[in-house]
Amino acid sequence: MNVLLVILLILAAISALGVVFSAQTIYSALSLVLTVGLLAAVFLVLNAQFLFVVQLIVYAGAVMVLFVFIIALLDPAAEDRPRLLDLRLILGVLAVAGLCTAVFIAARNDVTYDTSCTGQAVTCMHGYTVGSLAATGDTTADPFHTFGFPQNAVDQAGNVQTVANQLFHTYVLPFEITSLLLLVAAIGAVYLTRRAAVGPKRDPQADQRWKDDLVEGPD
Amino acid sequence: MPSQAMFPWLLLTASFLFTLGALGVLIRRNPLVVFMCIELMLNAVNLALVGYSSYLNSEEGQVFAFMVIVVAAAEVVVGLGLLTRVFSIGRELDVDDLDEMKQ
Repeated sequence: MNVLLVILLILAAISALGVVFSAQTIYSALSLVLTVGLLAAVFLVLNAQFLFVVQLIVYAGAVMVLFVFIIALLDPAAEDRPRLLDLRLILGVLAVAGLCTAVFIAARNDVTYDTSCTGQAVTCMHGYTVGSLAATGDTTADPFHTFGFPQNAVDQAGNVQTVANQLFHTYVLPFEITSLLLLVAAIGAVYLTRRAAVGPKRDPQADQRWKDDLVEGPD
Repeated sequence: MPSQAMFPWLLLTASFLFTLGALGVLIRRNPLVVFMCIELMLNAVNLALVGYSSYLNSEEGQVFAFMVIVVAAAEVVVGLGLLTRVFSIGRELDVDDLDEMKQ
């Protein structure tokens, strides 16, 4: 499992480089499809089967198809590669290297969790024992299971059931609010593209005036 | 399940993907690629959330990652709608030229 995870992470990082550094927009999109798919596989390895399916359906299935469709529609020209000594590129690469190093060193030195019980079979976070249930069977030691899921509930009920339990009980209000968000996004998209829906009756002169107004402002 | 020793590498990959997405937003001029880089950043956050969720053996991180995916889908719909609008009025697809939002 560890080897598989390392391979998937390395491939995802390489294909993410392709997103940023491809001159052709369509190659960026295809690299992003690959990255998204590899991250879906990472989710599967990490025992997040629900997110694996959602990632494939929503990202690889819907969002990326929308991207490729828009690329085919707009047909953007290939972009010049940034000069190697571009100040933004240098600063950006420094930021990438700096943040990655900082996060990795922090994680390796147990800064992201409490060090008071390193060296033991289990690790801690903020003084609480994490991952201890499998070792000790103690359900009260782990405060992160605030909703009464014992740690092996995932294996018993399956990931989809446990996520659904949280989604429709604890986080049911945020879940309902996302429907409002999607509605607003759909209305916004219809509003933004409404001129494209005007049929063959459109008046070219009015169109031109409208475009001039849009570009230069009304008189 | 991967061992807990893999956790720092997960965080490393997540931060790498996030900063790479930020770098892409900074250096690329095509707004479509800028949107893709934002998607990359959101995916990196999802990876960190799922990594923590797996590490802490809690399902909550996955619920939040699901919310992030929903927000990303909404963002793409509005963003690509904006881009088709910009294109339909004959503007060039270059974020350096599209630096004014009014009119």
